[in-house]
Amino acid sequence: MQDQIPVTVLTGFLGAGKTTLLNRILTENHGRKFAVIINEFGETGIDNDLVTQADEEVFEMNNGCICCTVRGDLIRIIGGLMKRKGLDGILIETTGLADPAPVAQTFYVDADMAARTRLDAILTVADAVNLATHLDESHEAAEQIAFADIVLLNKTDLVDASALAAVEARLRAINPTAKIIRTARCDVDLDQVLGLKAFELDRILEIEPDFMEGDHAHEHDDGVTSISLHSDVPMNPDAFQKWFSTLLRTQGQDLLRSKGIIDMAGEDERYVIQGVHMLMDGNHMGPWPEGKKRETKLVFIGRNLEAMNLREGFEACKAA
Amino acid sequence: MTILDPVQRETDPTAIEAIGRYFICDAVPTGLVAVGDTVVAGFGDGQIRIFRPDLPMQEVPAHGGAVLCLARHGASVLTGGDDGRVLLVDIVGNITELAAYGGRWVDCVAAAKNGTWAASVGKTAHVCDSEGRTHALDHPSTVGGMAFDRRGERLAVAHYGGVTIWTRGRRDWKASTLKWAGSHGAVTWSPDNRFIVTSMQENSLHGWRLRDKADMRMSGYPTKVKSIDWVGKNPHLASSGAQEAICWPFDGANGPMGQRPLMLCHDGDALATAVVGLPGHDALLTGFENGVVLFSELDTIADPRVIKRRSGAAITHLMVTPDAGWMLVAAEDGLVLWAPLGRAG
Repeated sequence: MQDQIPVTVLTGFLGAGKTTLLNRILTENHGRKFAVIINEFGETGIDNDLVTQADEEVFEMNNGCICCTVRGDLIRIIGGLMKRKGLDGILIETTGLADPAPVAQTFYVDADMAARTRLDAILTVADAVNLATHLDESHEAAEQIAFADIVLLNKTDLVDASALAAVEARLRAINPTAKIIRTARCDVDLDQVLGLKAFELDRILEIEPDFMEGDHAHEHDDGVTSISLHSDVPMNPDAFQKWFSTLLRTQGQDLLRSKGIIDMAGEDERYVIQGVHMLMDGNHMGPWPEGKKRETKLVFIGRNLEAMNLREGFEACKAA
Repeated sequence: MTILDPVQRETDPTAIEAIGRYFICDAVPTGLVAVGDTVVAGFGDGQIRIFRPDLPMQEVPAHGGAVLCLARHGASVLTGGDDGRVLLVDIVGNITELAAYGGRWVDCVAAAKNGTWAASVGKTAHVCDSEGRTHALDHPSTVGGMAFDRRGERLAVAHYGGVTIWTRGRRDWKASTLKWAGSHGAVTWSPDNRFIVTSMQENSLHGWRLRDKADMRMSGYPTKVKSIDWVGKNPHLASSGAQEAICWPFDGANGPMGQRPLMLCHDGDALATAVVGLPGHDALLTGFENGVVLFSELDTIADPRVIKRRSGAAITHLMVTPDAGWMLVAAEDGLVLWAPLGRAG
């Protein structure tokens, strides 16, 4: 059995600083070998035999399920890269307009990709100067923020403190769980953005900031919002599983990311879940740490969350 | 009580392993082509490795990155690589560059008996006939597989949403399409040119009867089908992807429609990962994810025989020379077994 190769998805609008970051990863002397899949050769001006161009081909699987759309070009290219030995990682650059969902889904839905690679993290480069405009003008910008495990908030040297605080507040409203890293010229330590295992369940346990200080819903006009749910009362395992799986099955298209740590009544271990659209991963992740109270925390990021009666559904799962 | 299966019990080399030779190539095999008594193998390290009876293995540096695809072209082999080049490699390792397409990968190559060859780069299939005339044939999405019919007059190109059949005209190539939702990879013509079959990104094969474009769904596999080959005088299409070689009958007017496939070669729960027919015989070899290779007649009452014992990596490619005299087995970790088939009986 070969090791799974980590894949980092790099997204963000034109001019935000993706190319600067890619160039750093390709040229810095870090002793690791990365293959990079880019959109356009013209933009980067990188000459490297491990840089390949993608065609952004979104394929629906024959079963017609929208949540099973995948990026056929990535399956082909990564299949080709797997024929080489000694790769430490793969980076996929997507344009500001590309839908990140099929990119992420490719690594779950396609059996070969799931066996040979693992999605490491979705990294969104945002531009502190122009992010507000991007969010106002296109829904893609909000979705890229929503999907992110890490937001690299770049060009922070070009805005003042109050503008920066406003941008961060807007980021947080869309995505309360992402780690925000402030940079000026993408001058981030590469270990902070690569090899994060953000999709592994034990990392869900480490998510900090707003995740969560209590119940709150972030109302916003971006179309993409988040809701955080909290309970000190344990959940009824059967009721929770039924509610959660029905929710993903019926509303998966609008649920971009979901993450949670669940206190199941009668169970000694923490139950951890994370999902991308309809695809969900869940497992018991060891006992509750000593001295820490047992509690359930759940966050959803998506569209039309108000209509899903999430709070009511969640409340109804509490064990009597 | 544990019941051992026949393969686990076998600890001595098989008769064929005993007279064959093992090679450890530190690279991922990407394709095999037989020419006469020679097998030419492509690898992910860009090398072509050539295996001949009673001679040492020959290594030939060919492509800059990986050898992505190979096809027999007359008495030589056509190769495409991720360095964007198409090469003609003869069986003693001489290389001629036929084309170069910049930095873009050459994903698929195909060649016809009449000397026409094709190489795909992204959505375009570049076709070059025996007189050197070239045509660029465009498709709606990236080419997943290509194959010429037995006469070289038609080229089948598989892509997302189906197959485009290009027919050679006086001046250019004319397209007709076979549609089926989903992503299509490798494509093959039945030996009588009446059927086209593709392996899909889903766990299934899809076929068309060309006369009326009738669809044939060949599904039920637990995994993707990565290896297919035509076997026997009354042709069956053998396929990997299940716990045995699934062999669909194409001997009647309707192909496999309404018929059950033969299920041959079984090694416990191990998945079949490669198949190859023995030319001129109603028999095939099946390779498994546990490294086992089994031989079987195209007959459900026949007992499969162990050709290669269990070892680490999955078998990715199998090839038998046209006279069924020699076979080459290649595993994912680069282990190669090159052995005479005939002498072991």
